[in-house]
Amino acid sequence: MGVLEIHHLSKNFGGTQVINDFSLKITELTLCCLVGPNGAGKTTTMDLISGRQKPSSGQIVFRNDDITGLGEHEIARRGIGRKFQVPAVFRDLSVRHNLEVAFSRETNPFRNMMHRKPKGLREKLDEVLQLTGLGSRLETEAGVLSHGETQWLEIGMVLMQNPSILLLDEPVAGMTESEIENTIKIFNRLKKTNTLIVVEHDMAFVREIADVVTVMHMGSLLAQGTIGEVEADPRVRDVYLGDPED
Amino acid sequence: MSGVVAKARVEKAGMTNLYHSKTAQWAVYAVFFVAVGVVPLITSDSFLLNQFAVYGVYAMLAVSISLGWGFGGILNLGQGIAFGLAAYGMGMTMQMQSQDPVSSPIPPFMLNNSLDHLPALWVPFSNTTLGIILALAVPTLFYVIFGTLVFAARVSGPFIAIMTLAVLSALNTLIIDMQPYTNGVNGLTPPSPLKLFGADIDPYGATSYWIVFGLLVLTTCGAKLLTQSKFGLVTQALRGDPERVRFLGYNVAVYETVIYAISGFIAAVAGCCFVMLVQYVSPAQLDTNFSIGMVIWVGIGGRFSLIGSIIGALMIQGGQSYLGDQFLNSWLLVLGGFFILVVRFLPKGLAGLLETVLGMVGTRRRSSPLPQAAGAADMPSQ
Ligand SMILES: Nc1ncnc2c1ncn2[C@@H]1O[C@H](COP(=O)(O)OP(=O)(O)OP(=O)(O)O)[C@@H](O)[C@H]1O
Ligand SMILES: [Mg+2]
Repeated sequence: MGVLEIHHLSKNFGGTQVINDFSLKITELTLCCLVGPNGAGKTTTMDLISGRQKPSSGQIVFRNDDITGLGEHEIARRGIGRKFQVPAVFRDLSVRHNLEVAFSRETNPFRNMMHRKPKGLREKLDEVLQLTGLGSRLETEAGVLSHGETQWLEIGMVLMQNPSILLLDEPVAGMTESEIENTIKIFNRLKKTNTLIVVEHDMAFVREIADVVTVMHMGSLLAQGTIGEVEADPRVRDVYLGDPED
Repeated sequence: MSGVVAKARVEKAGMTNLYHSKTAQWAVYAVFFVAVGVVPLITSDSFLLNQFAVYGVYAMLAVSISLGWGFGGILNLGQGIAFGLAAYGMGMTMQMQSQDPVSSPIPPFMLNNSLDHLPALWVPFSNTTLGIILALAVPTLFYVIFGTLVFAARVSGPFIAIMTLAVLSALNTLIIDMQPYTNGVNGLTPPSPLKLFGADIDPYGATSYWIVFGLLVLTTCGAKLLTQSKFGLVTQALRGDPERVRFLGYNVAVYETVIYAISGFIAAVAGCCFVMLVQYVSPAQLDTNFSIGMVIWVGIGGRFSLIGSIIGALMIQGGQSYLGDQFLNSWLLVLGGFFILVVRFLPKGLAGLLETVLGMVGTRRRSSPLPQAAGAADMPSQ
């Protein structure tokens, strides 16, 4: 029984079939990497799970609840957190404020008028700062962070939400080698307590973190398995990985 | 003041800009309100006092715009909707206070429009308490309904500006057209001042000044506390990127509606005060130029700062009445030019200029932050 199950998902934009009868089961406390060539439909799949787009047909089930077609905020409240391909942080707010907003245990506007620092915020903030190393940048305006730091910040924001499943779209794009090393450590730690779906093109990175690799091609499932199985699959090499010398 | 400076520095060791210190901000509020509060003790010129009280009304309007636009990202060109509706509610209440159920049950202008009994619309305003409650509740409710419809449909920024302006304009026309009920373009001129708890509130007296002053302090400090709450933080986030806020679990449309309605409520309070002070209300209060003018005050003063917005309103309205008399024709031109300059070179208004200056002062006091910032970018985060 998967924590998140996608059944026969399809999506077309004005006649173009972008997702085509795609099904996927995500097991609790695993890290699943979603890979595939540009335009394969990886981001669109995340859009459909998180409610940014409504599927043309198919069903998305999270913890035995049908969440197909729910609003973005309702899906987020159920415990699905999302990081975007183009990092989306609040650029004119400080790093601290970005993380505070993301701590969304209480979402009622009137109750949120009564306080600034809700219970549990401090502990969560400390935990996330420790993980992301943004402690020295707390008062910095998010708009001036480096690319890698911005990625960290958005990952940190998702963690502040305390989601049970994290959808991370290209989290290491633009990071330096040492930053990627760090991310590998963090993700391997995270998957002990969380379920993650990570979209990434960097196969070296995928090799280090993935429990399961799912390959998409033209909106459909092409292959699935361990990194070894997938890399040995001739169809995957054909459409995505190319020749063995990387 | 130096005590405040020192304390603010210690409090936020990581921050150098005094502008962002909460202590310093509240200190500025305290200084401003004390300065404004002592006016009746200094002057006995009742005309001046009345005019200053009217500036207090403009200040409330500035706070309401800053809250909605600066902190909620809602560019509202139709704040005259709340201001004007409340003003009419107050005008009707004051008008009914001077009617007598037996000898003159209905306002004279209605007789001229051949009405022979009080229209149902007016009946609740015979009761002062109910009248004032309605004057505040109707506009607020209007904002709740309009906001719910517009924000749930995810109408984008520029369209909200156009829609608020259009609704204001329609309401203005409606009031003019409903001549028998509103006295059309002439508006209402209640013959005597507002009576509260049996006493006349002389518009030129200290009491009315204190009432407006008290309400200004309440609304401004309430708005300030709101911006400092978690609610205010969420609205500041959604002002930049509403889409992203949804994925954090917040219902963005509800947050937008709430801040829009609170902004409308403050404008409604201002509308009531205005009629108390000037003893008339006309469609001019719903004039589109006036509502756009409010946005100009706030744009120039600094929409991200409540007190900056107030200063903007006082400067421009003050300038208009003291300079404008001489250059009445060129005043609008000057104002327009000034606004364009501010938008172009100071997107955060005069308050933003202060922020930049204080930031530079703070930076100079600290030892070279630039290499540190550059170093942090390629430092491996641990
Ligand atoms: N809103 C949209 N309207 C029309 N077409 C869209 C829309 N969003 C995505 N597409 C198309 O759907 C296809 C899949 O896009 P998607 O962004 O999901 O790919 P991806 O796998 O994330 O690619 P990449 O690796 O480049 O990020 C692309 O051909 C894209 O042009
Ligand atoms: Mg993508």
